[in-house]
Amino acid sequence: MTRGLWWRLGPLWSLVSLLLIVYAVTVVTSYLGESVQVQFQYALVNLVIVVALYMFIGTSGVLSFGHVAFVALGAWTVGLLTIESDLKRNLLSDMFPFLFEVQAPWLPAILIGGIVGGLLALLVAPVLMRLNGLQAGIATFALLLVVGQVLTYWSSIGPRSGQSMVGIPDVLDLQTTMFFALGAIVIAWLFQRTRPARLLRAAREDGIAAAASGINVVTQRVIAFALSGLIAGIAGGLFALTNRVVQASLFGIELTFITLAMLVLGGMLSLSGAVIGALVFSVIDLVLVRLQNGLEIGSVIVSLPQGTRPIILGAILVLMLIFRPSGLTGGREIVWPFRRTPPLPGVPPTNE
Amino acid sequence: MNQLIQSLVDALSAGATLGLAALAIGLVFGVIRLANFAQGEIITASGYSIIFTWQLGWYVAIPIAILIGVILSLLMELGVFSRMRTATPATLLVASFGLSFLLQRVYELLFSNNVQTAPVAPELAQSVDVGGIRIQLLSVATIVIAGVLLFALIQFLNKSIWGLQLQAAAADFRTARLVGIPASRVIGLSFALSGILAAAVAFVSTVQTGAVGPTFGVPIVILALIGAVIGGIDKIYGALAGGFLVGFATSMLASWLPSDMSNFRDAYVFLLVIIVLIIRPSGLLVSGGTVRT
Repeated sequence: MTRGLWWRLGPLWSLVSLLLIVYAVTVVTSYLGESVQVQFQYALVNLVIVVALYMFIGTSGVLSFGHVAFVALGAWTVGLLTIESDLKRNLLSDMFPFLFEVQAPWLPAILIGGIVGGLLALLVAPVLMRLNGLQAGIATFALLLVVGQVLTYWSSIGPRSGQSMVGIPDVLDLQTTMFFALGAIVIAWLFQRTRPARLLRAAREDGIAAAASGINVVTQRVIAFALSGLIAGIAGGLFALTNRVVQASLFGIELTFITLAMLVLGGMLSLSGAVIGALVFSVIDLVLVRLQNGLEIGSVIVSLPQGTRPIILGAILVLMLIFRPSGLTGGREIVWPFRRTPPLPGVPPTNE
Repeated sequence: MNQLIQSLVDALSAGATLGLAALAIGLVFGVIRLANFAQGEIITASGYSIIFTWQLGWYVAIPIAILIGVILSLLMELGVFSRMRTATPATLLVASFGLSFLLQRVYELLFSNNVQTAPVAPELAQSVDVGGIRIQLLSVATIVIAGVLLFALIQFLNKSIWGLQLQAAAADFRTARLVGIPASRVIGLSFALSGILAAAVAFVSTVQTGAVGPTFGVPIVILALIGAVIGGIDKIYGALAGGFLVGFATSMLASWLPSDMSNFRDAYVFLLVIIVLIIRPSGLLVSGGTVRT
């Protein structure tokens, strides 16, 4: 009986613990001064991107370099919807005229941004999802580059190349961003427990066996890809409202690399991995920024030379991949620490 | 007509450059399943060394560039990739992404964010008049260099014991080891050769631009990697042909797209890439089957 109860509550704990961790870290950073708050807001936006990445990459085992394209579309949409009409007419004069008129408050704008991102994902998925491994990586990478080029040069839907969208209202604070991050975690957790996600995990472990059991892998992947595209689009909207300047060059290889690095750092096979990876990476980054600006410890000022921060972050990723390729969490979820786990019949003990 | 020939020569030269870069990626991938994104940073390192040593004379600058390419390539293998033998190609690709990012920041720290400039082989930057057609000497030189390198490489791969061992390992690494081909030699060899090819690519690119910055190699390696995959990264010559094709197509599109569309040149190339990947996932030149992973 008790075991039955644990059975039901155990997985819930993996969600609650993540929500508590994100909440706690946010509360701590909100006491550390404005610059830390601002930086952590970016960190939360990145966390949402990483959760979106996890929903697809972690569940399906297929690499995607393309999610930042959906982030870009979300940011673009929110930029276009929240900048005032007059400002758009003056600054973005090459755009289609109807784009001057469309407006939305920021909250619906974020949701529309998510839908736009999700729609693009849904549109390209039936084609891209047939690919595996390296080919999938390269094809999604090509998608990222295509979207980047179009957003950079097509001035009918945005600023001329090299210019950026400005005038996005200052409405998003740290707390609201945190609620979006918590929401994304809940959605990802719920998604994990749905049938498509389970089928995908089966296919991830053994594609041939899954197909032989009648799983249409492509269909399941399309669902996961579109849903994670939606979350990535929402993250894009959050990014636009956080950064308040949107430019195509912000959504390129660098953001792709950093968010993937976060996922790999935490462990790409579990939601805990995505969340903890993003948090740990961001906290290290926060510390490094402090150190670069000079940190006073007593009477000594410790400071890192400028430019060493990304080097350290890159080195952490590479070392992590060498020494612990399955990430900080090893691809497992957080379990209730006080549970006595009875050995399951038929499951061999894992050697970790 | 003249314009056509001119653009053909340019496209051949662009194709040759990317073909060499893709070949370097394919050589390594064939042996250890690594699509090395950090190949771009080897090109950058050789590029820097050419810029800094060119005034000492080409007979100094070019050997040093080759040496640096080979050393950096081998260091990557020893320091990082040799410790990841059991990783999947996707993980290896992410690791090489990380390494690439890391090295770019190191270059930034060492040589600043600005480009370093020097006139490298300015005599090659001229154009010559051949029967009313203006042709860039550099384009011709690139084609010649690529041709000579390829000839030498093919001779090496087909005539020498080491070359044959490398081909065997690229075709089937496990079986090659079973028949007694030393794994470490073959892997080291593939990295060394890719370092030499990187130096060659760095040379023709620095002549063209005369400037090297921290991300010098990135656009080259992106196109080369994409080319290698669509050509069939699993086969050495597939990678070469794919790289050539992408370079050729990019250059032709640059010459012939109407000017208001030329900004989207790369977008068209990448769309083509996606289409090719869908139709022939294991590569244009590979008959049937899928890539071994």
